[in-house]
Amino acid sequence: MTLLLSIIIFGVYSAALLAIGAVGFTLQFGVTNVLNLAFGSILTACIFAEYGLTGHSTNLWIAMAVGAASGAVLSLLIGHVVVGAFLRRGATGFGIAMVTIAISLMVQFGLEAIQGPDILSYSAGSQATMNIGGVVLSSGQLTTIIVAVLAMAAVQVLLRMTKFGLAMRATAADVSLARTCAVSPARTRAVTWLISGALCGICGVLLGIGEGSFSASTGSDFFITLAAAAVLGGIGKPAGAMIGALIIGIVSQAAAAVIAPSYKTIAAWVILIAVLVLRPQGILAEFAADRELVA
Amino acid sequence: MTSGLVYYLSGLAILLGINLIAIWGLDLQFGLAGINNFAYIVFQAAGGYAAALFALKPAKAYGGFETYLGGFNLPFPLPLIGAAAVGGLLAVPVGLIAIRRLRADYQAMAMLVLSLIATGLAEAQTGLVNGPTGLALIPQPLVGIVHVTPLGYNWIFLGLTAGCCALAWWVAHGISRSPFGRLLRAVRDSESAVAALGRNPDALRMKVLIAGGALAGPSGGLLVEYVTAWGPSSWLYPETFLFFTALIVGGKGNLAGGALGALLVPIGIVEASRHLPAFGYPGMIDSLDWVVIGACLLVFLWFRPNGLLPERKRVFRAGRQQAGGTQVSGAFAQRLTGSR
Repeated sequence: MTLLLSIIIFGVYSAALLAIGAVGFTLQFGVTNVLNLAFGSILTACIFAEYGLTGHSTNLWIAMAVGAASGAVLSLLIGHVVVGAFLRRGATGFGIAMVTIAISLMVQFGLEAIQGPDILSYSAGSQATMNIGGVVLSSGQLTTIIVAVLAMAAVQVLLRMTKFGLAMRATAADVSLARTCAVSPARTRAVTWLISGALCGICGVLLGIGEGSFSASTGSDFFITLAAAAVLGGIGKPAGAMIGALIIGIVSQAAAAVIAPSYKTIAAWVILIAVLVLRPQGILAEFAADRELVA
Repeated sequence: MTSGLVYYLSGLAILLGINLIAIWGLDLQFGLAGINNFAYIVFQAAGGYAAALFALKPAKAYGGFETYLGGFNLPFPLPLIGAAAVGGLLAVPVGLIAIRRLRADYQAMAMLVLSLIATGLAEAQTGLVNGPTGLALIPQPLVGIVHVTPLGYNWIFLGLTAGCCALAWWVAHGISRSPFGRLLRAVRDSESAVAALGRNPDALRMKVLIAGGALAGPSGGLLVEYVTAWGPSSWLYPETFLFFTALIVGGKGNLAGGALGALLVPIGIVEASRHLPAFGYPGMIDSLDWVVIGACLLVFLWFRPNGLLPERKRVFRAGRQQAGGTQVSGAFAQRLTGSR
């Protein structure tokens, strides 16, 4: 019984952590139509930036704000400036995948060169814990769940109730039609990269706190699980990413508890491959195969 | 030249040969047929493991300090042939994902994840290939039969590598210039044209995936037999991009480009940085190598996406008869489908 409860509670925590990143990833993909394989490296860079700027901060909210800011800046630089330049030069889907991979390698190994051979320990906020029916949850984990709920609500409000959200959805649906309706796709994309980067940074800081330590490869491993959530839910759909995160979170916790801890990520990755092969459009969403890449 | 330098250079030549075989294999899949195989390193890894398991004695013979499946103690050259077979066979399950009609970037991600899953499984299943520690004490070919100095053995191994390179060149060049090679280029450039001419693009892709895998396998096998150890940390997913960078820098779609890339990227960048004056902590230069490789990839994708030696444009001329449009396309169709 405690096993089941712990699978559910830690599953929800994993899902919350995944959802913050996955929504950022999927939102950016939906609007810009660029599959950003450097997302994981940006996530790692945010933890490094936060660690370097405020160190073991006692205030979790400041840590998250710093993570969000560094993520937004990096994401804009990498996504809007570098990838955007390649897109304007006429790079295709495969070329863009190559570009984001190259950036990802540069960021990840650049950080590894800075980090040195040690794994850095990391903490922020209070160390208090909470007991739910025999399952101990740290305050960092609890905060993650709260932040995830807030972020998900904010994204939904942004998309459904604001004018900018409308512009984002218009850009995602049809660029030329959006342009005729006085929406600037370039500006919308730039802001989307910022939002996606900010969510990525928050996710990174919370991941660092949850793990208690980080290294240069933290983000690239986590990214694949996060991508699994986004793809499962139907890539480009924030609501789908939330459902995907919940499924991946609970399944991977169950795999870790039932098979072996090392299968936690493998289970999520197998789901990702299965979805990509069998139902690339995911649970929700229409398939974006025919959409063209535009700068 | 001092004997130390000679030993070093012969070792370098062996590594160049091993990389050359792997890059030609990838060139068949990616350069010729346009398959974005971001899991290519798994083929090399599988070949390496296969060669190791075929060459090793059963685990008990070494006091059981490592655990693995099999251990067949086969004599040279059977482990290398086995590596080629395993590399080729692996293409069949991988092809189920690699040949799906997906958006190119989805495909890239799926292949990347496949590579990560392979690493994850090799680490998690400790009984398979000794888990994260990897295999060690892998017997080298002909050791015990020939009795030579380490330098002499390097020369023997270099000869063996050169022989394998020649064989790989023969295979890759043969495919590239054959009617089958023309078909593969057609699949890359216009899949629907190939389908319209009654050829199955997926079957063609599967064939070249197998051919590329059968080259990656022995390259892994040679590497493992040369360094005598092989573990999951030797074939992490970034290694695939070492080969991709080599192809993009050298020039994809032609063997000379691949060879130039092999000389410049895996040997040039990675080896040259070893001779820099030491700075930072040990391992820092290795990390910076990857930053340089990523930068190279970006610079070439921006300025020279076809590489230093671009693929020759193959323009079909309708012979001397200056035929009209329909006849040209008829002749073109004949050439394309390989019928004589």
